[in-house]
Amino acid sequence: MSDLTNSDRGPAATSPGHIFRRPDMSRKFLTPTPETLTTLSLLVASTLSLIFMSSLVAAPKVLFGRTLSAITPSLFPSIVLFLLAVICALALVVIRIGAAEPAGKGLTRGEWLRAATLFGIMIFYAVTMAPFGFLISTAIATTLISLQMGARSPVQIGLVALVAPVLLYLGATQLLVVSLPELDVIEMAYARLLPF
Amino acid sequence: MIEQFTQGLALAMRFDTIALMSIGLFAGMLVGALPGFTTLMAMAILLPVSFFLDPIVGIPFLLGIYKGGIFGGSVPAILISMPGTGASVATSRDGYKLTQKGQSRKALDMALTASVFGDTASDIFTILMIFPIAYLVMQFGPPELFAVLLMSLIIIAATSGANPLKSLMMMMLGLWLSFIGTDPLGGVERFTFGLFDLKSGIPLLPMLIGVFALPEVTSVVLRNEKGRKLAALMGERLTLSELRRCFRTIGRSTMIGTAVGIVPGLGQIVAAMLGYSAAKNASKHPETFGEGELEGVAAAEAANNAVNGPTMVPLLTLGIPGDNVTAILLGAFVAQGLRPGPQLFEEQGATVFAILVAMVIANLLFLIIGYLSIPFFSRLVTIKTSVLIPLVIMFSFAGTYVYRSDPVDLLILVAFGLFGIVAKAAKFDVMPMVMGFILGPSMEYAFGQTAAMSNGNTLGFFLTERTGALAVLLVTPVLGYLLWKRLYHKAPVAA
Repeated sequence: MSDLTNSDRGPAATSPGHIFRRPDMSRKFLTPTPETLTTLSLLVASTLSLIFMSSLVAAPKVLFGRTLSAITPSLFPSIVLFLLAVICALALVVIRIGAAEPAGKGLTRGEWLRAATLFGIMIFYAVTMAPFGFLISTAIATTLISLQMGARSPVQIGLVALVAPVLLYLGATQLLVVSLPELDVIEMAYARLLPF
Repeated sequence: MIEQFTQGLALAMRFDTIALMSIGLFAGMLVGALPGFTTLMAMAILLPVSFFLDPIVGIPFLLGIYKGGIFGGSVPAILISMPGTGASVATSRDGYKLTQKGQSRKALDMALTASVFGDTASDIFTILMIFPIAYLVMQFGPPELFAVLLMSLIIIAATSGANPLKSLMMMMLGLWLSFIGTDPLGGVERFTFGLFDLKSGIPLLPMLIGVFALPEVTSVVLRNEKGRKLAALMGERLTLSELRRCFRTIGRSTMIGTAVGIVPGLGQIVAAMLGYSAAKNASKHPETFGEGELEGVAAAEAANNAVNGPTMVPLLTLGIPGDNVTAILLGAFVAQGLRPGPQLFEEQGATVFAILVAMVIANLLFLIIGYLSIPFFSRLVTIKTSVLIPLVIMFSFAGTYVYRSDPVDLLILVAFGLFGIVAKAAKFDVMPMVMGFILGPSMEYAFGQTAAMSNGNTLGFFLTERTGALAVLLVTPVLGYLLWKRLYHKAPVAA
């Protein structure tokens, strides 16, 4: 919440509650911020879904000439999608006329890069867990994340990447009796090493 | 009911329940005490552990994390002015000033005592009120249920962010995501794009971990904190006379927190701020608040912990989670085969009582564990994030995988994590989305049943037979707007 006076805020801030602020018609286009892009994506997705509703929702089941439910399977989704499209359009209008509170600076390019690297590692982790097994994929992913976080001590990285996954693996498989993905080689090694 | 209560009491006193609850409390305090790590993250990551435990053990385990985490967040707030959870922001105002004055031990003791008092009083209120409310809810038909679910969603959307349009957008998106899979009324496929993995819908757990835990982790990575300075535990302990001086404040904040807890969507942050403001307004020396006033710590901590018990009222009686943490608890209930709602009290009354009694027992354990472990938790603030972040990610992925042993869930987790980051950057609150996703199927079911009951004349049906539900539907948008205005309204300033 800002401590600025109305005169400091300019003409767009003369009434309380930012959705009612006086419009600023000087801007011609929507600035591609995360806020506008997200709203626009939702508007496009909801509108397309409404248009292609018949292909996205299967036809209702019919028994002896009557449907099984009082409403069609597409009725409630249609209402929700219509409302979503209307709200998105309204939000874009509010952003366009400058009546909305500025969304803030958002992330810098460097921050986006760091976030992208982290998610790249996470996607790699998600994709490799089943084929490589939990232990190998976790060792690789945690090493990469530790390095990204600035860790340079081999002991610290080793403890996080090698000891912690083994402890979690043993805890999950032996105490909670649940399975984590395994490579056959690893599975056989544990079968030989562990008496239980 | 007396019989159910005695059965519940016996169940809650089981050794394994108390042991796991203690572990949960310790884990919650541990995570809460780590700056940047939230109770929500701990709950989301440890939720899968509860699936493999008996409901009487697994749910108190999560409740322990919940309670412990809220207090744990006050440790870094007091010691290094870095709130471990959003609920501790108000605590840090006076808590850190007390640390600078060399009275950090006093502040931590007060935070613990006020937290335990607020929590216990609100839990007892919950036990007394939950059955009459459940009885009232049992009189509801589908139109009333639909009206109440809609009201809850609107209130959550109105209170979860400064921009109601964005919150409504997220709520609608959540409802839309809940349609993916099989229609609850007719059993036909919707929005699956022919993918077999989507036939049973989007799994709740990867969504919860994805939108709540992964964006928090990413925020820590973006801040790139490699180490922190050590804050030593200093000063004398809290005295009885100091506690007595703050007793009125603790009582007032407990009532505020309890009232806030019943309303879905408000949560600990609002309660702590309201409790703190009320204490400051009522004080004879308001100028001391923000300068190291012990009453300020007591007010914020009693209020934020008093929310914990009453949030169970809408959760257990209607299946409406009051905040994001109770949304995770709802996931635990559903995974355990316990469907929150009025029927739960008829079918599993003893279990409900056991969980409620366990909440009170947890507070006693909370006091003991907290008192003994304050020195330990105060040193946690110095642990490197480069050690913690890889471990949190490992737990998130392992927890998601063990839920259904389906590798596709890992991709869903990352997808929702990515969405959570984009939403955070665009200042969209994901809370209404999760609520819409959780309540969507019940809402659609109630909507369909209402349509069937009205025989095509829905408006006439509401006007003649269900005027109560109609009144709720009409009042809801106004209530939502008033709540939003109350919370986010900027007072006009003189030009």
